[in-house]
Amino acid sequence: MVSSNTFHVVSTELTVGSFAMAGLSFLLAILASRNILGLQSRITAIDTVAHATLFFGLIAMPFAIFSGVQSSPGGDINHPLLVNKMLLSTASLGLAIGVLASRRMVGERVWSQPYSRELQGIGGMAASGLILLTASIGGTFSRGESLLDIFKLPYETVPLMPLWMSCTVLVIALINLRTALQKA
Amino acid sequence: MNRVLLVLLLSVCLLAPGIGSANPNGVGAGEFDAQCGGACHGDADMNRSSSAIITLSAPNEIYEGLLTSITVQIESVETTESGMLGVFLLSGLSGSQDTPADAGWDIVSNSEGNAFNYLEIMVPNGRPTVEVTWTLKAPPVGEYSLYGAVHHGTEDGSEAPFYGVSPNALNVNVLQVPEDLPRLSPSFEPQIQRDIGEPTTMVLTTEFVTEVSIEWRTSSENTVTIQATKDSEDTWSFELPTSIQPGMIEWRAVMSGEGPEQTTPWFQLRSDEPAWEVDNMLVYMQSFAMLFALMAGFMALQKTLSGPEKKEDYGELMIPPGGEY
Repeated sequence: MVSSNTFHVVSTELTVGSFAMAGLSFLLAILASRNILGLQSRITAIDTVAHATLFFGLIAMPFAIFSGVQSSPGGDINHPLLVNKMLLSTASLGLAIGVLASRRMVGERVWSQPYSRELQGIGGMAASGLILLTASIGGTFSRGESLLDIFKLPYETVPLMPLWMSCTVLVIALINLRTALQKA
Repeated sequence: MNRVLLVLLLSVCLLAPGIGSANPNGVGAGEFDAQCGGACHGDADMNRSSSAIITLSAPNEIYEGLLTSITVQIESVETTESGMLGVFLLSGLSGSQDTPADAGWDIVSNSEGNAFNYLEIMVPNGRPTVEVTWTLKAPPVGEYSLYGAVHHGTEDGSEAPFYGVSPNALNVNVLQVPEDLPRLSPSFEPQIQRDIGEPTTMVLTTEFVTEVSIEWRTSSENTVTIQATKDSEDTWSFELPTSIQPGMIEWRAVMSGEGPEQTTPWFQLRSDEPAWEVDNMLVYMQSFAMLFALMAGFMALQKTLSGPEKKEDYGELMIPPGGEY
């Protein structure tokens, strides 16, 4: 039977690969929606690739998160890097779900309206960026270095909110979600 | 229905790594029976015999309630590529209720700087012999048996869990304490861990002692001897050097009095980075909050920006779209 460490590597590679592809596709989608580089005729294909790869990454991500927690020393979140990985990956998860749900609600015309198309593209790229950042932290944790070390990011700093504030944000978010779904 | 089955299937896959994990990185130090500590390693139906030769040694005289040391020596060590080796100190081989604590021993520390009967060590490549030492408080007067055991994987990556145990028990005869024997007080509990940069003053409580000298050593240096300061009747103190990096310092007390001079076992004091702790509940709640906040915020914003879907205006068409007259 495969160990949680190996399973984490496999699921992480699937997630990161899918999100990297999605990020690039969302960039192309923004360019295509503004008819830059003559890509407008490809907008349907690019839109499909962007959202399909994002969806696939989304399926792989929970496996990566849970196997990551299981394979951490002691099976617990006991290091600043692990906490930041958890926060960034769930933030990316939320953003990716929002992007996909919006695409489903609005349809293909999301690329034909000003602001809406930029938001959709930036949202998709931000979700991908957060995942790449998470992978970079994983590299720092396991190997002591990663490609993004050149930016000297504060990986060891943990921005934790008090419990009451997290609960408040969660309640507001759920109300907001309900309103957004009702509008749909 | 199919979706429910899919979710269940994925959930089983998600849990599989935890259930089926072979723990190649060990299970961590702990208080384990031989059977529990090794899981499949300790299961006679699943394991294979280790080639390691395990022997135990102890001082000639062990007194009731006083501290003593037991050393487990392992020869012909074979481990995985990482060098991880799990070592047990046991009071029996029944596979259950066989920790030293079950026989009345009280583990104070071990050479890895914790107070468990099971520990994991990294064996450097090519080292044929390793030693692990436990410091224990002896049980009441009587005859006792102790065993050493190991479990490990192999470098060739074969899936079999290996388990080995000392062929003979170490038989220990715990004696009554002589009346005037210089000794540490039965209530003395040595400190076994400290933070880096933390100055350490150790306080000893003794009985029938008139003079105490302390010997301390690190792995790379010779033994240093210092005199303990008498704070009050039967209370002594001394300072150990502050550590500037993670590591281990060992010390022991040589006690003089009316009775024969006594030397305590080596006590281990481990220095680590200050432990980093976080309330996992805070992390999980903030993660959920961010997940839903970003999801809901993005959807609401996108919905607002994209506006309502415009209906197609078919004007005065005589034929309704896609319909008949």
